[in-house]
Formats: sequence, C-alpha cells, structure tokens
Amino acid sequence: MEDKTILRARDFWASLVLITVSLFFLYKTTDIPFLETSVAGVDAADWYNSAALVPYGIFAALFILAVTLLVISIRDGGAAHALSMIGIGYSGQELFRVFCIALILFIYIFALVPRVDFILSSALMITSLIWGFHNEDQRAMLVGAGVVSMTGAYALIMNFPVSEWAKPHDDDWITLFAFLLLTTIMILTEYRAESLSRVVRVTPVVAVMAPLILVCAMAFGFRQNVPNRTGLVFSKIEYHYYVTLRPLWQGKR
Amino acid sequence: MEFVITQLSGFGVSLVSLALDPVTYLYLVPAVFLGIVFGALPGLTATLAVTILTGFFGNKFPLDQALIALIGAYVGAIYGGSYPSILLNIPGTAASAATAMDGYPLTRQGRGGEALGLTTTASFIGTLFGTMCLLILVWVLLLVSQNIASPEKALLALFGILLSGTLMSRDLVIKGWISGLAGLAMAMVGLDPILSEERYVFDWSYLYSGFQVVPVLMGAFAIPQIMDGMRSALNVGTIPDVTRIRPQLAEVTKRMPVILRSGAIGTGVGTLPGVGEDVAGWVSYGVGKTTSPESKQFGHGSVDGLISAEAANNAAIGGALIPLLVLGIPGSPPAAALLGALKINNVIPGPTIDPALVVHIVAVLVMASITMFLMGLFTARIFITILQIPKTVFLPVVMVLTTIGSFSVGGGVNDLFLMFGVGLVAYLMNLMHYPIAPLVIGVILGGLFDETFRRSLLISDGDLSIFVTRPGAAILLAVNVLLLFSQTAPFRRLYTRLSRRDSSFSKV
Repeated sequence: MEDKTILRARDFWASLVLITVSLFFLYKTTDIPFLETSVAGVDAADWYNSAALVPYGIFAALFILAVTLLVISIRDGGAAHALSMIGIGYSGQELFRVFCIALILFIYIFALVPRVDFILSSALMITSLIWGFHNEDQRAMLVGAGVVSMTGAYALIMNFPVSEWAKPHDDDWITLFAFLLLTTIMILTEYRAESLSRVVRVTPVVAVMAPLILVCAMAFGFRQNVPNRTGLVFSKIEYHYYVTLRPLWQGKR
Repeated sequence: MEFVITQLSGFGVSLVSLALDPVTYLYLVPAVFLGIVFGALPGLTATLAVTILTGFFGNKFPLDQALIALIGAYVGAIYGGSYPSILLNIPGTAASAATAMDGYPLTRQGRGGEALGLTTTASFIGTLFGTMCLLILVWVLLLVSQNIASPEKALLALFGILLSGTLMSRDLVIKGWISGLAGLAMAMVGLDPILSEERYVFDWSYLYSGFQVVPVLMGAFAIPQIMDGMRSALNVGTIPDVTRIRPQLAEVTKRMPVILRSGAIGTGVGTLPGVGEDVAGWVSYGVGKTTSPESKQFGHGSVDGLISAEAANNAAIGGALIPLLVLGIPGSPPAAALLGALKINNVIPGPTIDPALVVHIVAVLVMASITMFLMGLFTARIFITILQIPKTVFLPVVMVLTTIGSFSVGGGVNDLFLMFGVGLVAYLMNLMHYPIAPLVIGVILGGLFDETFRRSLLISDGDLSIFVTRPGAAILLAVNVLLLFSQTAPFRRLYTRLSRRDSSFSKV
C-alpha cells in the first residue's frame, strides 16, 4: 500500500480527534467571560480585551483546519482504509514494541520516579529498555515491561497519595530486588543462548553508573533539586556527602 | 563607521576578558564536547542538548556562565551532526541532512578525512560569519525595534508560527499550521497575562502558571526520539577508515567564496523566525547547486555541495539569535531553548535588553566556534569512536538525563507528567508527519501573541484597523496574508501556470 494512503488513513482519524478537541475547547472557552465581562456589577473589560478572544480564534481556526484535513483525507482514500491495521500502517509487532516502550516510560515517570529512589528506578528502566529492545526480542520486551510494571504498580498502589511520595518505603527495596532479578534473568538468558554480548555485559554498569553520576552531579555539582531525596541509595549518599565528606575538605575534622 | 568601531572595541574587550578567564574553559570545553556528541549521535538533536543543559544550569548559576555552556552545546551540536552524515550517510541532526548528500559519496571515494576537515573549517568560518552579522545587525535592528509596538509584535509572532509551520512541513502545509495552533493553544493554559483570568486549568493548581517551556521542549524532542529510536540498532555499520583530517590551506582559500556565500544565506535564513538550521542547509545547498561550476557533481561527492550545506547551517546560529535578542522571537528550535534559559533567569529579550549581554553572547559564540574548530581537527577520532555506541544503549541514558533535567527546572514531578504527555503527543505527531518545531514555537510565542494582540485592540478601543493604519503592521499583515494565500490551491495553480509560461518564453 502506498505511503500516502497510509498517511491519509491516519489523517482521517487525526482530523476526527482534532475536530472533537477543538469543539470541546470551544465549549470550555465559554467559561471565560467574553461579551459579559462585568464582575460584581463593575465592567472589567470589553470583548476585545477578553481572555477568551484569542482562544476562540485559535480553536475556531483549528476546527476549520481539522475539517479541511478530513476532507483531504476522504478525497485521497484515507477513510476507505481507516479501519484496517494495514491501512493505518502499523503491524502487530510494531504496535507491541511501541506499547512496551510507552508502558515502561509511563510507569517510570508516573509511578517510580515520584515514589522510589531515583538511582534504583532509573537502573530498572535502563536495564529493561536495553535488554528488551537491543535485539528486538519480544520475550525480553515482555519480561522487561512486566517487571517494571509490577514494581511500578506496587509503588503506585501502596503509596498512591502525594503526601506519601517523599517518605522512605519498602518500594525502594522492591525496586532494588526487581533490578537485580531482571539483571540476573538477562544474563542467564543470554548466557544460555550463548549470546552474552558486550552490550549485555555493560548494561548493569550503565544502568547503575549513569543515574548515579547524573543525580550526584545535579545535586552536589549543579546544586539543583533532584527527585526523591529520601530514597534508599540517594539518602545515604547525601548523608555521607554532608556529614562525612564535606567537613573533610572544609577542614572541620 | 564610528558605530562599527565602538561595537568592535566593546566586543574585543568582552572577548579578551572571556578568553583570559579560566572558568570559561571549565564550562566551554565540556559543553562543546557534549554538543558534538549529541549532534553526532543520530536521534539526539541540538535542541535537546541546549534544553538538557538548561535543566542542569537553571537559575542557580550566573547567566554569563550558563550561556557559555548553552551556546557551546548549540554550536557543537550543529557541527557534530556532520560526522554520521559524512561517514555513515545517517544525518546526526536534521540540520546536517544536506551534508550527507555529498559527504557520504566523498567518504566512499576514500576522502572521508578530507570531507571532515573541510566541514570543520566551513562550520567554523560559517559560525564566525553569522556571529559578525549578529554583532552588527542586532544593533541596527534594535534601533528599528524601538518603533515596534504591540500590533507589530503580535503580527511578527503570528508570522513566526505560520512561517515555521509552512517551511517545516514534510507533508501537507496545514499540518504545520495545525501544529503551530496546537502550540498556541497550549500557551493559553493558565492565568491570562492581562486580566489574570483562569483558562483551562481544570482546578489543577500546577496549571495556573501555564505550561513551562523546558518540559515541553524535553517532551517534544526527547520522548519521540526515544520511542522511535529503540529499534533495530544492532549495528550502525562499519565506520570507514579516515585519513588526514586537517584541510589544506590552499583548498580552503579556493573554497572561500562558497563558504562566505553559504554563510550569508545561512545567516539570512536563520533570521527568519522559527525556521533555523535545517532549512538553511537545504536552501544553501540548492543555491550552490545552481551557481557552482561543479554543479553536475552535486550529489556525487562535490566539495562545494558539502561546504554549501555545512557553512550555512552553522551560520544560521548567529542569524537565529538576531530575532531572539531583538524581538524575543527565536529563529530556530535551539534558539527557543535558549530563550527558555533566558526567561528562567528573568532576562526579557527585546529593545530593552542589556547591551553588555548581547556583546557577551557574541564573544561566547566566537569562543565556542574556536573550541569547536580545535576539537574538530584534533579530537575527531574520539567522536568517530562515539558513533559506534548503539542507540539502544544511549537513548535510555538520555531518558534519565531529560527526566532529571526537567524535574530540576522548578515544577518538580508535575513537570515530568507534562513532559511525558507532550512527548506522547509529539510521537503521534511525528508518526503522522506533523512538524514539531511549529508546536514549540507556538508554545513560546503564544503568550506574546495573546498579550500584544489584545493590547493592540485595547489601545484602539477594539478598532481592528490598528493592524492596517500603522505602516509596519500593515506590511506584516500583508506578509502574513500572502503567506497563507500562497499555500492555497488557486494561488499554486497560478504560480505553476506562470512558471510554465516563463520556461516556454526562455525556450523561445
């Protein structure tokens, strides 16, 4: 199938989404005072100064462009192929790959980083991504995404409220265990398959060292805020940085 | 003349003080190195390099020092994209796509080292050319910009978004405009700048301050690259042997007219709001193809072709900073990231910008280009080795970089949520051939457009003729309308008919 037809099939769906979104936001814009801008009986502004003026223009223009896109996609045969997977240009394998990556990143950002030690959560994410996707082995993708999902789900369910995010919990230990488990599975699987490549051997080192160096550089070198300071590993590093190391080079010991 | 001498002497003092300060090198050398690495690794971009460093430097460092790192990374990344283009036929950045056209054929002819050497020199001279134009033009334009009021600013912001949407679209032009409108829409979230009215906050306190630029940039440029890049990265191919990299002086002298012409084109394209290095490289390559004596060799290993693309994309850096410093409108996506860094440090570019800051930026650009030149000539083999790192290994590390960079800017975990959301949308947009640059330009210029458009109407009591009665505004309005109509079917048919008639006349 021609690339252009695939593109128009995607455009068909995109234009429908855009029409819905623009209509929804046009409706939401009605919440912003436009022609009636009086507050407590006092005129606050006129229509030309209203906060709704530009948004009305933007979403109206978006609506018109979306309708134009819909017309183009129908005219070029996009609607005719819109309901088939091939028409959209996605194979099941590609969908699985993208789904696994999106899931790992979603769990990392929404469940792990806010609640779990940054070094441990990053090490787990890095291992699952490198092992899962370097050889494009579907089983490795599934195992990686599964381990990350289960670890993230535990952290999410056990420490859901924002008030619990920064407190030390057992989810750090669970993540450490998950990282070690995934690393062991990776090495054993590749060893048995006699494909223990340099990438596999270097993965645990990259997984631990990259976030460790980055978070330390950020916190102590660039003096910026870092996620989850009470995390299992980072809290120890921070403690020894201020209590053990800093007094040493400040000559207080 | 006196003005030029004053400018040059101010710049000279700034350059000397920068060169004599050891702290400069502490920031500059690692930043240029990181920039070249980001440019050289396919999948990472100059915008991402500048954005990530913005996250690291934030507002905890003096702006003077932060700018050294950010500009160093910017210059390095635009140049670094040439490595995989020349050696592997894989453009490291979009800006170096035109470089691959002649760079790779030269490598196949066993002239990869020569190509790298000439690219390094052309990039260096191109950057210097753009920087000198920046030094002179920024003041002329700053004088002009003092007569620019709200109507002109609103129309300029709109022009930036429209032009970016038009030129960056790979498929239908309306996709570029939709992308720009989506960015504008995102900029509407939060409290409005004039009446502090709530807009689309959905009772989430984080949204009251609107979408922050850095997480949006990180999401738009990092997440899609990670999601798309994590595949079939088993082998980038064998990297060919590279011989002598340092170019012959005679060869450089011979090619100087091409370098300078490409530098002028690059600077010119760079000044167009929201367009940047990618387009500069292709425009200059196109001009080179029609004017060069070796035009038939273009695409088969022409040195002129290589230089045309590479000098222009680096010269566009200076050009892109002109509208940024004069009007607060970035000339390219990396310049947009730079604007984010300036805003974090409470610097508002425009007619009221501190002149010392402009001279400092120019001096940093010169220092960065010298560093890039020396690194390109003497440490090129390190970058060639780095090309062998598989994407599947460095992209997860980039994810960690963007996460920690985005978190540290100020919004914490909420910024991460925003980054991921924008990233998913940008991935889908990439999939459907929507350009991302107009979205980012829209987010950045949306606030400016909203405020200046409404302020114009406030001044005129709602009279829309304010956009026609002021000469500057009338010209800009005409340009906007012309840009829109030039993309419509009747206008295109007319253009095709006219160009056919032209060609038949010339045949006669």
